[in-house]
Amino acid sequence: MTGRMPKALPTRWMWAVVSEPDPEARGSYLDGQTAGAREVSVVIDRRARFLRIRHPELPRGEVVWPLHEVRAKENGTGRGLRLLRVAGNEIEPEQRGEARLDLVDPDFIAALRAACPDLGKTDLPRGMLRKVGLWAAGAAAALALMVFVIIPALAGSLAVLIPVEREVAYGKSIVRQIERVLTGSFDTKLTCTGAEGQAALDAMEARLTDATPTEYDLNIVVFDFDMVNAFAAPGGQIVLMRGLIEAAGSPDEVAAVLAHEIGHVEARDPTRGALRAAGTAGLFSLALGDFLGAGAIAVAADGVLNASYTRAAETEADLYARQMLAAAGVDATGMAEFFERLEAEHGHAELPELISSHPALADRAREARRATETQGPTTPVITKADWAALRGMCD
Amino acid sequence: MTNLYGRYFGQAKPLFYLTLKTTLLTFVTLGIYRFWAKTRIRQFVWSSTQANDDRFEYTGTGLEKFLGFLIAMVILAVYLGLIQMVLFFFGIVTFTAPTTEAAAIGQVIGVYVTFLAVLPLVFFARYRARRYKLARTRWRGIRFGAEAAGWRYALHALGHLALTVLTLGILLPRMTFKLEKFVTDRSWYGDAQFQQNGRWQALYPGLKWLAIGFVVIVVSGAAAFAIQAAGLFVIGTLVGYVIFLIGAIYYRIYAFNYTTRNKVLDGEITFFAAAKTGEVAKHVIVGGLLVSLALAVPLLIIGAIVATTAESMVLGGNLGIGAIIVITLLYLAILAFGAALSMIWITQPIIAHMVKSIEIRNAEHLATIRQRAGDDGADAEGFADALDVGGGI
Repeated sequence: MTGRMPKALPTRWMWAVVSEPDPEARGSYLDGQTAGAREVSVVIDRRARFLRIRHPELPRGEVVWPLHEVRAKENGTGRGLRLLRVAGNEIEPEQRGEARLDLVDPDFIAALRAACPDLGKTDLPRGMLRKVGLWAAGAAAALALMVFVIIPALAGSLAVLIPVEREVAYGKSIVRQIERVLTGSFDTKLTCTGAEGQAALDAMEARLTDATPTEYDLNIVVFDFDMVNAFAAPGGQIVLMRGLIEAAGSPDEVAAVLAHEIGHVEARDPTRGALRAAGTAGLFSLALGDFLGAGAIAVAADGVLNASYTRAAETEADLYARQMLAAAGVDATGMAEFFERLEAEHGHAELPELISSHPALADRAREARRATETQGPTTPVITKADWAALRGMCD
Repeated sequence: MTNLYGRYFGQAKPLFYLTLKTTLLTFVTLGIYRFWAKTRIRQFVWSSTQANDDRFEYTGTGLEKFLGFLIAMVILAVYLGLIQMVLFFFGIVTFTAPTTEAAAIGQVIGVYVTFLAVLPLVFFARYRARRYKLARTRWRGIRFGAEAAGWRYALHALGHLALTVLTLGILLPRMTFKLEKFVTDRSWYGDAQFQQNGRWQALYPGLKWLAIGFVVIVVSGAAAFAIQAAGLFVIGTLVGYVIFLIGAIYYRIYAFNYTTRNKVLDGEITFFAAAKTGEVAKHVIVGGLLVSLALAVPLLIIGAIVATTAESMVLGGNLGIGAIIVITLLYLAILAFGAALSMIWITQPIIAHMVKSIEIRNAEHLATIRQRAGDDGADAEGFADALDVGGGI
């Protein structure tokens, strides 16, 4: 610091009347027009509230920056301070904010921090926030349009265009993949091979599809897995789990589940879902960026979305199942009882409908009950002997 | 003749805390803060870099990066969503269960078709990101800049890439040099233009160690096959792989030194660079080992906690939501810790070495250079961010 000390030290009483001299220091000035630094002297003119930057080569020997227009460029390094002046109307537009003043003197920097009210202020370009808001809305709209309108619609039309034999090959590979995931091994086979059980399953399929022919050749298998579940993969691949057959109180209940899955197959829901997932998965990871953990959020978001999208498909599949059962003369009471049992066991733990992929169980049971009122004469879907064989298929 | 020398003053401690803090903030804000995080780290690195006594300045802002990202989002959402689904459709249409090896390879190639559809955009984004970075860099108060040539760059890069792949890498030096020339010839400092001189053939010596690594792998593989020794194959491949990795660094450093020495600014100012492979490889390898060691302990502890809680869950207990949250938070904290460590043990030392290796010659001519008009910075890296091009700084 080159603060000038008076030649003779002032006595104590003089301090009271002589105000402290304006802080002064050396600095390095870049005019923002030429690639060269000038060693300047800098004064904080407290009275006029100016920062005076002095050098003989400057126009009229000095540049003055109003203190409230001085901003610091923080850089996190803790080395020195770089200052700039935000737009003032009296300077040429192309020079606004271009000049820089570098300071290192810690005392002077402290004095400056005290004197400049808006040193750390962030000045946004005019209209920037509005622009950000507009584009944020635009981006959200584009994403929503893609995810909720264009991708589902396109997935629907593309699903119809895929040749059936390709769909079957793809579906089979999906079933194999799920088998691998469930067993955690490449070699263990889950498919139950009981010949009489398979015959019973075929009989059930024939009973259902005789009255309602299907577009796909169905390939129905039972997995030796302890879970009350069933699923349809693309191309007519349907898997029932052993747990579901054991939980069922009658063959009619299994037939209801099977009819529901056939409904999905005929509507090409699995294929459409796979196409849609391919389109949306990329979008979510795009929106969330590459920071670690985004993958999990993307999957969760896709799950919620998938759920709301498939609830409509589930309702459709239920309707298809009720019509199929009625056409085949199978009692829809089985369907109602199956849903009622699930509701009794899991009803309390059921996910809120918004995030669940299936409609509420109670509603589905009620619809099935209503169907029993209008149905014609019914017979059990398969014989008692076949039912026993089906139940013992995985032994 | 006046020479200026590159200097780097960045310290480890402030950068460590800066990276830790901004990474954690990025997690907390589900990734939104990443634009501001990148800005603050660049401000630190730029301000720590000097040529003699004059420091660089980074004038980019987080908000403009966020805006650029939103703009890129609108375009990419449509393009990528459609492209991906249509490609997946053809994937299924041509799908057969991979019974033969050829079919399996075919499917792998199918996956890369998706990548190819994005490739032009990746090159485009890379050029735009560089242009933005230059437009937001100042030295002695004068800004850098680059001409708008993103699509032409993408076209050139795709052509060179195709040639390089078709010639099995033999034309890699041509690609490296020509692309460097493409961007250098379109770069400016104030009203002064850069120019890339030199010949692409001069980069061939840089391939030396890559070639040696390749030969080691092939020869040891062939020898192991001839005498039926699996051990020789493993050792040969391992040694060859390490040589190959260091060879890749060697090539990049060689190309950096050569192209820097043949750059001219405004027809007068020349440059010199003497970066060392050993120095960079040391930071990559030793720094990498140190970071992994520092992370290993906390990660092992977390792993043990997860293993025991998962076990109790299988035994009938229920993994509370609280436990899941605690484990996730710990995991994220360790990730941020790792990011901060690799910043100060790998990234910053390499930047410091590269900066210090550079010399600016005939610098008195700099006094004649005048300011250039501002550049709006295009999309402020929005495309690069969305496509994850040239991550970090």
